[in-house]
Amino acid sequence: MSLIEVKALNSYYGDSHILFDVDMHVERNEVVALIGRNGAGKTTTLKSLMGIVRPSAGSVKFDGVELVGLPSHAIARAGMQLVHEERRIFGSLNVEQNLVLAGLTAPNRWPLDRVYEMFPRLKERRDSRGTDLSGGEQQMLAIARALVRDPKVVLLDEPFEGLAPVIVRDLVAACRVLAAAGQTIVLVEQNLAATLALAQRVYIVNNGHVVHEGPSRELKEQPKLLERYLGV
Amino acid sequence: MLSLPNFAAQAFNGLVLGALLALIASGLTIIYGTLGVLNLAHGAMFMVGGYAGVVAYQYSGSYLVAVAAGSLFVMALGLLMERVVIRHFYDRPPEDQILVTFGLGIVYVELVRLTFGSLSQSMPPPSWAAGITSLGFMIYPTYRLAVVGIVAVALLALYLVLYRSRLGMIVRAGIEDAVMVDSLGIDVYRVFMIVFGIGAMAAGFAGIVNVPIAPITPDVGESILVETFVVVVIGGVGSFPGAVLGGLIAGEILSLTSMVDPSYSQVMLFLVMTFVLVVRPRGLLGEQGRA
Amino acid sequence: MIEARRGIRGLAFEGWTALALVVAPFVLPKIGFVPDTMNRVLVFGLFGVGFDLLFGFAGLLSFGQSAFFGTGGFVAAYLLTRMGLTSVMLGLAVGVVAAAVAGLLVGMIALRRTGIYFAMITVAIAEVFFFMENSPLSDYTGGENGLPGVPGPTFNFGFASVHVTGGWSMYVFLAVCYFVGLALARRIVASPVGRIFVAIRDNPLRAAAVGHDVHAYKLLAFVIAAAYAGFAGGLLGVLQGYMPPEAFTFDTSGQLIMQTVIGGLGTLIGPLVGAAVWLYLRDFLQGSLGMGASWKLALGVVFVLLVFFLRRGVVGGLSDLIALARSSARAPGKAAPGGGDDAPVFAAAPQNSNPAPPPARDPGEPEIAGPILQVRDLSKTYGGLAANSEINFSLERGELRGVIGPNGAGKSTFFKMLTCEINPSSGSIHFEGRDITNLGVTEVCQLGLSKSYQVNQLFTRLTPRENITIAALAERRGKFRLDLLRNPADIPGLSQQVHSTLALVSLTERADVPVSGLAYGEKRRLEIGLALATSPSLLLLDEPLAGMSPRERVETVKLLKSISKGRTTVIIDHDMDALFEMSERVTVLQLGKILVEGTPDEIKANAAVREAYLGGVLE
Repeated sequence: MSLIEVKALNSYYGDSHILFDVDMHVERNEVVALIGRNGAGKTTTLKSLMGIVRPSAGSVKFDGVELVGLPSHAIARAGMQLVHEERRIFGSLNVEQNLVLAGLTAPNRWPLDRVYEMFPRLKERRDSRGTDLSGGEQQMLAIARALVRDPKVVLLDEPFEGLAPVIVRDLVAACRVLAAAGQTIVLVEQNLAATLALAQRVYIVNNGHVVHEGPSRELKEQPKLLERYLGV
Repeated sequence: MLSLPNFAAQAFNGLVLGALLALIASGLTIIYGTLGVLNLAHGAMFMVGGYAGVVAYQYSGSYLVAVAAGSLFVMALGLLMERVVIRHFYDRPPEDQILVTFGLGIVYVELVRLTFGSLSQSMPPPSWAAGITSLGFMIYPTYRLAVVGIVAVALLALYLVLYRSRLGMIVRAGIEDAVMVDSLGIDVYRVFMIVFGIGAMAAGFAGIVNVPIAPITPDVGESILVETFVVVVIGGVGSFPGAVLGGLIAGEILSLTSMVDPSYSQVMLFLVMTFVLVVRPRGLLGEQGRA
Repeated sequence: MIEARRGIRGLAFEGWTALALVVAPFVLPKIGFVPDTMNRVLVFGLFGVGFDLLFGFAGLLSFGQSAFFGTGGFVAAYLLTRMGLTSVMLGLAVGVVAAAVAGLLVGMIALRRTGIYFAMITVAIAEVFFFMENSPLSDYTGGENGLPGVPGPTFNFGFASVHVTGGWSMYVFLAVCYFVGLALARRIVASPVGRIFVAIRDNPLRAAAVGHDVHAYKLLAFVIAAAYAGFAGGLLGVLQGYMPPEAFTFDTSGQLIMQTVIGGLGTLIGPLVGAAVWLYLRDFLQGSLGMGASWKLALGVVFVLLVFFLRRGVVGGLSDLIALARSSARAPGKAAPGGGDDAPVFAAAPQNSNPAPPPARDPGEPEIAGPILQVRDLSKTYGGLAANSEINFSLERGELRGVIGPNGAGKSTFFKMLTCEINPSSGSIHFEGRDITNLGVTEVCQLGLSKSYQVNQLFTRLTPRENITIAALAERRGKFRLDLLRNPADIPGLSQQVHSTLALVSLTERADVPVSGLAYGEKRRLEIGLALATSPSLLLLDEPLAGMSPRERVETVKLLKSISKGRTTVIIDHDMDALFEMSERVTVLQLGKILVEGTPDEIKANAAVREAYLGGVLE
């Protein structure tokens, strides 16, 4: 049984039909990527998994449990975590408070030391308010906040966007470590180099439909596919 | 007459009034900041706290029991109100929310009037705060001084809850981004309910504490509501420090201008509110963004 | 909602009301109404007409109407009792003017904020006016005693003289006043101003963006409501022979609100019905059942239940029932709104005429040479983040330009600055030679620049026809006009413009279906239609194809091509195939700056662009 099993998922934004009968699956310990142009429906897919957008039709089974219709806090407790594109850290709280709050309802929460070991930068800034953090630090915090809950799956929505290449490099390395340790990750990214380096399998989404699925190395060997659905 | 004792007495009155307004306004403002709901029943809840406390006093003879009863009763009322009514209005336009809390406020007032009639009820101050105190240049009722201290403790408790407790951390995060809090596994609606209860309790607490100063009638909530609104507009909607600052300012304005001409004090307060609206629309300590 | 249609049908409402007013004195006393109660119902009904215009139509919830009720009443009463004015009608008229002026002054303060703040401020206003009546001005107002001795009016008809005192003669007088007030309100609702009120309640953002001066209209609504309140207040004094200070209490405002909600918002006669219910129950519960003070509790509970479940009140609920009965009686003819890809996207629209799009705005002056749009060094920073950096952009008249860019490129921010929804941090925008930087969204629309939104910004409670009309009204009348009594059918060119815009976006068949019943593709077309109806010389389209099915895309591209004739158009979208098919030139944004500009072929071949999109994967 797949860890995540998505069948015939349809989601709307307002009454804009964004996802049309999306099928996908995610296995344990995999890193799966969703790529495609803006407006293709990648973020809506992640939000649908997390229950922030309520799908109008279809099913999402997480370890055999149906998630569609559940409130987000229940989905979080089931072991799913989403790192939003806008990061959405709590600016009025400091780094440590963000982490503590995230772990409050997680039975297997990470001890703070483990978090700080992974992101030493956050330890340095543990007393800084969220609003005082740089873009890269905020992204680190957003990811750390998700990991604190020891989730079965982490959904990453464009984690490397808008960051300096040095920071991106560090984050990619951190994700590599996570993946190697067995963390299941679903990654949405426009930075294709990073994506193809991390993910084993890739879905291409275009105009709300899944148009391609396959191993990432296949895409490296078939640049025409990328041109068609991502390029100009 | 502008003599020092007179002035000092009014300044102290302003402090007492200001402290109470600060507490009531804090309750209103954290409800609005977290839930986005303007509670027009807030003045009525102040009044209900007073009555609940008076009833408890009549049974127990104890001031402390009265204060506890008044506060807890209104907290329970607040929890119930959120759970049964307000929760269904989060998706509805703000005008509907305002109307339903307004209606509930009327219902509370009329229920109290039905039960107790329209005559005022009173409660004496506790023995340890009865009588008058000499402050050298003037004498002043002891209980009123005590109220400043009592309310200050309540505000401090509220501050500790908001800024130093887990719950407060969740509330402040929820004010910022309720959806994100939900995504982190915390049932936001439960948080909303608790916040409403706390905000209501602040009003109820102020209501009972005020009774030894001014006997309570069912209609007392109306003017309290208006003054609270003015405080919140001056201080900034959704800001706890703003409510405190606004409350103190409003209290002093009301008291000091009443020295010059009692009838002008309300008008003066309104003028200050207008001034703030024109010069700094988000209030003294308010955040930009919230309507 | 009241729909004012021309002809016999349109006067049915007034007819029925007149009939009810005539019949009431014969019928109502049988169930326990006394003349005094009925007179009070009329006064509060009239008070509520103004309030319904303000809240039911324009959407402004004010708790401060008692301030104007009292002002009008006391000014009239003062003139009639202390100043020796003999003409009651003149006294009432002055009261109305005084109340309207007060409304203007108060409105200028209160309308600086919206929603919650606005409601709070109006609460404070009610209290302040009460205090002023009670103390500082008590010499004029009699303080807590009010002003006794207000006379009833006398009418000289030449052959006879009628002096109105209490009882049924007062009823006739008040009924006539009420009827006049109601009929006037009906005209206002049917006028362009009334339509704009409803649009403002529904979507104030879009109302401003299609060219209406929203603040001015809100102020107008406020003043009208104050005038009605002032008239009703004066009548209260005449009715009672005495002007009571209770007119000024917050309680009075609250009572008005409750009556209006109970009777029905947005119906104009709702307040009358609500007042009848209120006052009848007060007399009935207090008197007959001996329930004493609990009548208000009962009404409070009823009010809360109505807000919960029957927002449209008694009259609204009844009219919904009637409409429901009518529509189920009709045969189920109209097809359900188009759903999936099977349904024809453009339902049997007569494609024969290929209607011409509403002409681009007539510049009035000879066309200015040079680009229609010139953007220089435009930047927008938020804190430390630069959303747009030093953009230099120009458009020639008649171009169709595409704008693309990966995520975070700043495309939407750029559009928002062009329409003046947000102000740039630095730089300038010149449109048709005029500097429009910081002008504001309404002004810019009136000058001929408008946008269709990425996320639909429609007037959701209206039909497509009504939606387009709102936009066309701004185009025909400018950003503000005081045409309260005008029939929109009398505005030259309006109906042609609405008709042709609807035809252009192929919504003629569906023009009278409420927006909530439209399919998504139809809503998107309406969205474009709204922008078109403002007759822009420069039309911006923000992701017009977002969320569309493949079929809808094809049709929409056709539409976009046709509407871009004769005007300058800029389109942002992510659908590359469509965009490149339509555009003559394409601008590529990345990280807030312009990366490159060129023809679609040039862009496709450009290495930097591929790099931006594909992130250096392809070696």
